[in-house]
Amino acid sequence: MTDAAIRRPIGRANWRRFLAGFGQEIVVLLAIAVLFVVVGAYNQRFLSDTNINSIFAGNAYIAIAAIGMSLVIISGHIDVSVGSLIGVIATIAGTLAVSGYPIWMAWSVPVVFAVAVNAGVGALIAYARIPSIVVTLGMLSILKGGLISATGGAWITDMPEGFMLAQMRPFGIPSAVYFMVALTGLAALFMRYTDFGRAVYAVGGNLEAARAAGLSPQRTVVGVFALHGLFAGIAGILFATQLQVIQSTVPPNLELTVITAAVIGGVSILGGTGTVIGSTLAAILFATIGSALIFLNVSAYWLRAVLGLLILATVLADMARRRRSR
Amino acid sequence: MNPVIALTGVSKSFAGIRVVNDVSFDIRPGEVHALLGENGAGKSTLIKIMAGLHRPDSGAIAIDGAPVAFATPREAHAAGIATVHQELLLFPELTVAENIFLGHAPKAPWGGLDWTRMRNRSREILDSLDCPDLDIDARVGTLSVANRQRVEIARALSQEARVLVMDEPTAALAEADVQRLMDIVRKLKARGVAIVYVSHRLPEIFALADRVTVLRDGNRVGTKDISEVDETSLVSMMVGRAIDRLYPKKLGKSGETLLELRHVSHKSVVRGISLELKRGEILGIAGLVGSGRTELALTIFGITPATGGEILLDGKPVRIDSPEAARDLGIAYVPEDRSLQGLIRTQTIAENIALPILKRLTRGIFVDTARMAVEAKQAIADFGIRARGPEQIVRELSGGNQQKVVLGKWLATAPRVLIMDEPTRGIDVGAKADIHQLMRKLAGDGIAILMISSELPEVLGMSDRVLVMNGGRIVAGFDKDQVTPEAVGAAMTRTTEKAAAA
Amino acid sequence: MTAGLLKRHETILAGLTVLALIVLALLSDKFFTAENLLNQGRLMSEVGLVALAMTFIIVTGGIDLSVGSILGLTAILLGVFWQNAGMPLPLAMAAALACGTLAGLGNGLIVTRFRVPPLIATLATLALYRGLAEGISQARSVRGYPEWFFYFGQGELLGVPFQLWILGLATSVSAVILGMTPFGRATYAVGANETAARFSGIRANATKLWIYSAAGFLSALAAVVFVSRVTTTRSDMGTGLELDVITGVVLGGTSIFGGRGTIVGTALGLILIQALKNGLALSGVKGDGTIVVIGIVLIGAILAGAVFDKNRGG
Repeated sequence: MTDAAIRRPIGRANWRRFLAGFGQEIVVLLAIAVLFVVVGAYNQRFLSDTNINSIFAGNAYIAIAAIGMSLVIISGHIDVSVGSLIGVIATIAGTLAVSGYPIWMAWSVPVVFAVAVNAGVGALIAYARIPSIVVTLGMLSILKGGLISATGGAWITDMPEGFMLAQMRPFGIPSAVYFMVALTGLAALFMRYTDFGRAVYAVGGNLEAARAAGLSPQRTVVGVFALHGLFAGIAGILFATQLQVIQSTVPPNLELTVITAAVIGGVSILGGTGTVIGSTLAAILFATIGSALIFLNVSAYWLRAVLGLLILATVLADMARRRRSR
Repeated sequence: MNPVIALTGVSKSFAGIRVVNDVSFDIRPGEVHALLGENGAGKSTLIKIMAGLHRPDSGAIAIDGAPVAFATPREAHAAGIATVHQELLLFPELTVAENIFLGHAPKAPWGGLDWTRMRNRSREILDSLDCPDLDIDARVGTLSVANRQRVEIARALSQEARVLVMDEPTAALAEADVQRLMDIVRKLKARGVAIVYVSHRLPEIFALADRVTVLRDGNRVGTKDISEVDETSLVSMMVGRAIDRLYPKKLGKSGETLLELRHVSHKSVVRGISLELKRGEILGIAGLVGSGRTELALTIFGITPATGGEILLDGKPVRIDSPEAARDLGIAYVPEDRSLQGLIRTQTIAENIALPILKRLTRGIFVDTARMAVEAKQAIADFGIRARGPEQIVRELSGGNQQKVVLGKWLATAPRVLIMDEPTRGIDVGAKADIHQLMRKLAGDGIAILMISSELPEVLGMSDRVLVMNGGRIVAGFDKDQVTPEAVGAAMTRTTEKAAAA
Repeated sequence: MTAGLLKRHETILAGLTVLALIVLALLSDKFFTAENLLNQGRLMSEVGLVALAMTFIIVTGGIDLSVGSILGLTAILLGVFWQNAGMPLPLAMAAALACGTLAGLGNGLIVTRFRVPPLIATLATLALYRGLAEGISQARSVRGYPEWFFYFGQGELLGVPFQLWILGLATSVSAVILGMTPFGRATYAVGANETAARFSGIRANATKLWIYSAAGFLSALAAVVFVSRVTTTRSDMGTGLELDVITGVVLGGTSIFGGRGTIVGTALGLILIQALKNGLALSGVKGDGTIVVIGIVLIGAILAGAVFDKNRGG
């Protein structure tokens, strides 16, 4: 899409194509902009450094997890266990850190664990042909139950200073933001410029045609889940190092927020289309909405209803679009 | 000139039934070789053998004179054989350029996909196919069928195909698109690509082909230069002497008109159909795939309710907006696709037969399972279904017996109008004769039968009257005593003036 | 699938259940007491009620992830109707049941009218209904229900917990509908091959609408029992309910791909799970450890089913 510019000079028609290619992303971006302008006008404090910081840095881990979720949904599957996985990652990382293991281990071991777990999940889906919803529902309860019974709900505190990755601020900007931007960019390039990235779209778009083109749907699905594990792992580390305490529980409804971000960012629920840039933008949009509700004196308890409506509207629009193009 | 690919004495059986029998076939560079035959003649199996999807049981395949054995489609690709499938295997959400190159995209020096080159190459290939209007950045999902087909042809060319197999490429195309496709084929031919062209439409074959091979019942009837044959001789090669096979004679006479259609339409696929169907009559509808014949059946049966015109039963107008409504009016439909539409293959004979008559089988609020079994036993006896009993799973039955279950299921509703779409597709000769006998008997009992079939001998042998559909309309009608295969074949394949003008 | 095969699955399941009960009885003398067993029955009533409807839904080849949210929403509505809107409690109960039914009907409409895959449709309404519950309740709980109301969740009739009578009645009715009526036949047909069912004059969409609405109704009924049992309403009630429900149904032999399953199987699946939970609790495993077991059982049951399917050559 971007290289529409490379071949021909960008005329009006090409601009339109360029924008159309990012339809959903533009909508989300506009929504964020409108929110900032409107809520900012209503209450100046909305635009304060602290608030913007908490919107972007505080929710970067959700955006990063949503990148992996986008890959999963593009390939035609779903994962409802990602919230629990992030909780487990955070606890493993924290435990390693306070038990005196080197910090690089406290950061990397949980990520490797996440990749391994999700590759296993992918293998169950691809080779044993169990629907992804069933496998991940099962994983959800295994991870969640395992976490709580292993820790007994104890909190982890007094983590070493060097471990607090998310609290580092190179050049004054929280490191979580660097991660979010870099991983989104890398993932976008990866999806666009590698055979594997295109295979994910192909497998999610038309399984039969993908086979006829000589791709292996099974290997693609396992790869997608392994990558999803990588992103969830990094998200888990950021989540763990954000605050001075790790609660050793699963952040409530995290999986739903992550899925919603992917879907609202333009990833079609039926697979085969969407971009990771959209999901990151959508994650920022939610954070902005959540924050805006507070500044507009609307109870934050309505946040989830708003999310539910958004996801429903996006899904219905997607179905309508598909029916039209058929 | 030496053939690019040569098949010698190739045979293939499925479940003990020989579908391709000792067929030899070859294609030379720069040649269009038409492959002709009725449904079930073995064309698609032969194509799949060439594409590496099936392995022949016996016989040899040679490329440039060297023997080969394809284990996977990939190996056939590598040997330069590409197929344009009837069902167009593309990715609707991806762009034209990417669809052309998916799986073998050009790489940039740093290892990533080279989109610029991919798009430029796509542009070149499409331009070389005279498709400068096809946008390489458009999503394939937004394209017309004709354009999707061009994308698939471009995909084949991007893999440097030397042999291009086209399976009924014009079946779903409008006339103007057919012309463009034919131009493309000529162009490829001039470039030296060998083309296997499968089609029912005789005018296309005369316009394009250098040679033609006719298959019938899995055997090769003959291979001729196109100059050696004309339409009449081709049709008789296709249809053969099977027409002389004994079809059951009509019992009694046709009665009064039962079902009448007046200018019935459904969107643009069924256009202004008027017909009368009499008690005790078998009315045959001939037509190519995509001529609107199945769509007409679906409209009468209420799956795709009529968007215009009037349907009358016993002279009274009726509204049929759902299959339930059709069933309650005494209309039954034995569908074209047995395993998708006709049967629940994972359920038992009794469960399948009970489906349309659940209301009748219900006592109070309970389904009477004893009566379910009685109905099933009755059907098994009446139709000679070879099964262990009512509790046998339908999937385990042979094709012919499955078809008899579908028939039994609908006859249990005591219909007055029976629509049969391809009633004997994919079943063996014995079961075929049984079903033909049965149809005659039902007509003799006063049921009005509307039969749709791609098999000309069946249409000619079974029907009391024949209507021919083409482009969603009825284009010809014949009484039993005046009908000839040539006339029906010509009406089926004729390009209507209307369509040509469009 | 034959009736024989299904029965075989249920026979195996019944055997497993009996075995589990015996082992648990031997391990703990507290397990096999009337008091413990009845109490366990009380605890599984809410999940059980919803699982009945879920069996129908999964037999049609669908799924409903929003049942827990509907339970939460209707629980909140019950409290709001009674305390804030001033309705008499019986009327508030009826209104809550009606709202639950509507919520289920909404799911059904999204699935049938807009052709949204059930998984996605109910994932969206899971968020929506829970969000409405949270928004309406503003994290306030409703308490102080009249004494008679607690009968539904705490009372006993002939020495048996009242909700067990409700569950028993609902189970029998469901078993009869799925197993013996035209509606049940239609449900199986739609799940096994929706196209063929439609071509046979079965009203596939109407069948699904009824079933999703019933799921809403039973979730609301479970909410009433739940509120009565714990004497308070909170917006997070029923969170994660869908997991327990789906696990029970799938363990009971209902195919996640649709077309087969029975109410008896679901009942056995639920009993087995409850027995496992109880047994683990009695042997000192904490509550959260038991949900690990449920997750393993869920994946294991489907994995076994998949292997079994492959052997059938399907």
